[in-house]
Amino acid sequence: MNPQALMDGLIAGATIGLGAVGITLTYSILRFANFAHGEFIAWGAYFALAAAGLLGATFGALSAPIAPFSFGWALPLAAVAAVALNGALALVVDALLFKRLRARNSTVIIMVMASFGAALTLRNLLEFTFTGKPQYYTSALQIAVRLGGGIRATPDQLLSLVVALLVVLAVHLLLTRTAIGRAMRAVSENPQLAGLAGVNVRQVIRIVWVLGAGLAAVAGVIAGLLIQIRPEMGLDLLLPLFAAAILGGIGSVPGAMIAGLIIGLSEALAVAAVGAQWRAAVSFVILVAVLLIRPQGLFGRAE
Amino acid sequence: MTPAPVLQTRGLVAGYERDLPIVHGIDFALGAGELVAILGPNGAGKSTFVKAIAGLVPIHAGTVSLGDVDATEVPPHEKVRHGLAFVPQTENVFATLSIADNMRLAADILPAGERDPRIHRIYGLFPDLADRSSRRAGALSGGQRQMLAIARALIVEPSVLILDEPSAGLSPKIVGEVFERLRGIKRSGVSIILVEQNVKAALAVADRAVILVEGKLRHEGTAAGLADDPLVAELYLGARRVHQATPA
Repeated sequence: MNPQALMDGLIAGATIGLGAVGITLTYSILRFANFAHGEFIAWGAYFALAAAGLLGATFGALSAPIAPFSFGWALPLAAVAAVALNGALALVVDALLFKRLRARNSTVIIMVMASFGAALTLRNLLEFTFTGKPQYYTSALQIAVRLGGGIRATPDQLLSLVVALLVVLAVHLLLTRTAIGRAMRAVSENPQLAGLAGVNVRQVIRIVWVLGAGLAAVAGVIAGLLIQIRPEMGLDLLLPLFAAAILGGIGSVPGAMIAGLIIGLSEALAVAAVGAQWRAAVSFVILVAVLLIRPQGLFGRAE
Repeated sequence: MTPAPVLQTRGLVAGYERDLPIVHGIDFALGAGELVAILGPNGAGKSTFVKAIAGLVPIHAGTVSLGDVDATEVPPHEKVRHGLAFVPQTENVFATLSIADNMRLAADILPAGERDPRIHRIYGLFPDLADRSSRRAGALSGGQRQMLAIARALIVEPSVLILDEPSAGLSPKIVGEVFERLRGIKRSGVSIILVEQNVKAALAVADRAVILVEGKLRHEGTAAGLADDPLVAELYLGARRVHQATPA
């Protein structure tokens, strides 16, 4: 087996894992599969592109690459702005669409179909605003460094992997060690009882939207940095994201990250073994296998 | 002068659908330190009545007051801050959370400095829970869950505690322990509303009882008086069994 495939799989898996954490949080607390989550990834990438462009145009020095990376300070600053903007976008989408459907006690299938509508709208708005042409945060070329054992990776890839793991660790600690994390776990299990225990369920829902969209923005920036930025980038990730969220066990943040890495590795190994045309099939096979054999996923609890 | 009730409903009409009310214009008052049992046959609207008070069922007419506060439109999480604690009949603990996290969750609405002392005080009242604090609540027995649900409700030191059928599904021995605990909570000054199917146990612990039939308040009186009222007993409580089971 090519050891480079392992590295490529881990890097792709980190992005999938980050997105899957957002999916699993919104799924477990809002109680529907949000098919617009991929679009939040794409919007996060474009928010960062616009903010980095604005910062670079205003303060030229911020665009100068920070060695050994390919980007300047404008990108990390823009990524922070993208997290905030994406959170605000998620709140707007919730206020315009999902909140109204919750108020009508809409069924899960209505919520899911509404999320398909939201995904189409958000994707087309991106294409209308930024065009469908692929874009990049940087045009600087990077040379991959040798890591030993025949594995090579660029500094951007290594940084992305570390950032993804740190963000997921932070979310895990937020959920397990803080009052808002307890409130989120309580709402996930029983929203009515959570209200009786003094938890403001509406506020928790808003926080979950902001957190999920914030994580999607980070995933979008990483995907945009390592590959390219396109309006369909979130759509392309949707199947791996759901496969990872379900494989990890709905509601499990570490599970989603580990499952994301498993999906990324499986895709990379499939590409090395049987060809790139089979990459997309891997997530589908894993998704079907999990649903048939262990629907609660690796770290979920059986109902 | 009669002290102002800690909880009062006036003309309360409530139900899940606006055109299909289950509770029809109930006037009810709970005095300070009082334990009132809400009794009645199945489908009488007992649970709907207390859920409406807690904010879980829509109120279509009438008012709910907590002390001097009109709490009719107040959402459940805000009612907790006004001193109302509600223990549902089922799913009354967070099964996936540890006992400690169930307690901490309830304490999170308190000022930071008061949380740990309050939790320790409640653990003092429920030492079995303290011994198992790291255990998942879902692994507890029915009786232990009921104790955890009551302990969690007491964390905020409520002025009113509502329990919806706390004896449901429990063995007679455990029911005795739960009701003994209610006596202790009442002695500490908490006013209690107890919805119960177990008429004998409820009348033994209550000061007063009200009887709902078809969503309306039909009878009320002292617990002792209602237990001895053969007509009421026979009509609404199935209390022939009560008299047979209660030694003179």
